Amino acid sequence: MFEYAFMRNALVISLLISLLCPLIGIFLVLRRYSMIGDALSHASLAGVAAGFLFHASPIVSAFCLTSCFGLLIEVLREKFRRYAELTLVIVMSLSVGLAITLVSSGLVHTNIDSFLFGSILTVSQEEVITVAVLAAISALTIRGLYPQLVMLSFDEDGARISGVPRRTINYIFSLLVAATISVSIRIVGILVISSLIALPVATALQFQQGFNRTMLLSILFSFLDIMAGLFLSYWIGAAPGGITAVASVLVLLVVILIREIHQSRRGGVHQ
Amino acid sequence: MISLEHIDFAYENGPYLLEDLTMTIYDGDYVAIVGENGSGKSTLVKIMLGLLKPNHGKISSTFRRPAYVPQPTDLINKQFPITVEELLDFQRQVLKIRAKTSIEAALDQVGMADFRRHLVGTLSGGQFQRVLVAKALLGQPDFIILDEPSTGMDLRSQDQLYPLIHDLHEQKGVTIVTVEHNLRYAAHNASSFFHMVEGRGHFCTPDEYIREYLQENGGNAHV
Ligand SMILES: Nc1ncnc2c1ncn2[C@@H]1O[C@H](COP(=O)(O)OP(=O)(O)OP(=O)(O)O)[C@@H](O)[C@H]1O
Ligand SMILES: [Mg+2]
Repeated sequence: MFEYAFMRNALVISLLISLLCPLIGIFLVLRRYSMIGDALSHASLAGVAAGFLFHASPIVSAFCLTSCFGLLIEVLREKFRRYAELTLVIVMSLSVGLAITLVSSGLVHTNIDSFLFGSILTVSQEEVITVAVLAAISALTIRGLYPQLVMLSFDEDGARISGVPRRTINYIFSLLVAATISVSIRIVGILVISSLIALPVATALQFQQGFNRTMLLSILFSFLDIMAGLFLSYWIGAAPGGITAVASVLVLLVVILIREIHQSRRGGVHQ
Repeated sequence: MISLEHIDFAYENGPYLLEDLTMTIYDGDYVAIVGENGSGKSTLVKIMLGLLKPNHGKISSTFRRPAYVPQPTDLINKQFPITVEELLDFQRQVLKIRAKTSIEAALDQVGMADFRRHLVGTLSGGQFQRVLVAKALLGQPDFIILDEPSTGMDLRSQDQLYPLIHDLHEQKGVTIVTVEHNLRYAAHNASSFFHMVEGRGHFCTPDEYIREYLQENGGNAHV
């Protein structure tokens, strides 16, 4: 199957996604911000539509607009601390509203299904390069800020006292979430990106390991999920996003089940 | 030195909790903040640390490396997937300390070196508290604030913690602020008490505080 250029492109992007999603996802999950990932992935639809409207790369425009929405969420969250969830609804209404208006008005002539559901057929060489650059910059940034991000997630007050610039890092992190989403749009699709951000991390957490191991396990599971999506979608001819999302849930459930059985066996001895 | 001048503070939409509070803590002091539950002790130390902004008033501090051990009941996510060693190592990197041996040294000081590879989520409350003290010691602070550090610690751990704080104060000249209900140790170690009453506070000696306490409580204190 890798004799096809489109499959090779899809594979490269999938590998990048499987690395980037858990890198970002672990911090979103541990800070209980996974809903931000969800809101922003929906918001990226506006970016895709704008890209078509102005004949620009949909991935680049998705990154730009999603970044703006991400920063907006941060600003609103600082301003309205008590209504944090409400800010997500505000931003999502604005962005998805814009997207629907653009698409349904006929201003944008394209089939956006492939962006909603993910697609392996339509990835161009140019997009591979865009995605690779975005992913590389993001991964390097996370590497640089890794200790700060961990300590902020563990104990925000403690991190601030130790000199971690919380606001600045939160803003940078918003950009990283936007980049991750933009990188994932093509293969995974807007509708289910958040499953790939949260569920591999949730699966890794079941093993109750330290931070670095949890991170490695998350990457492993996200790799499994997205490879399942890639290969099965090739054979079945379905959109990879759907299969990836279902796979991520199944893997999580299987791991939880095995853990439960394991624990009830150990518990049985004591009874 | 840290000085607070005419501080007013209220939580969002709440009444004023601190009103016209003024205090100065000098280098090398060891101050125990005392007062009833809800009198604003934890709030006051968070203001000192810059975690909360007062509504009015001025704060100035000359300390370079403050450290903080929060009140054990404050919500720190103990279920966070991280080992004791990782926690201290990330903190070390945040503080830009080169030597990895500093981790070992800090854990030794609180008697937790054997728990290096344990997940923080599997520690008891008192053990976790000691790890947080180790984390605070890592940066060789010149100013440490400990909010009810002995809550949840057994007597043996307390007997270990207070001499440690005492040594930091006496030998390294670290300025110490503790929020205390543990008068036994506080009276022993602290150079002065800061008694919080009705949004303000005043410095007093341990003896004076005990007299004030007896007056407030009708003469039946067990110290
Ligand atoms: N985040 C908050 N938002 C609103 N009110 C708060 C908040 N934190 C504390 N308070 C209120 O402020 C008052 C003082 O709280 P604080 O924690 O400073 O008291 P404390 O002296 O440390 O008490 P304790 O001895 O129980 O630790 C309490 O009445 C409390 O309900
Ligand atoms: Mg308190």
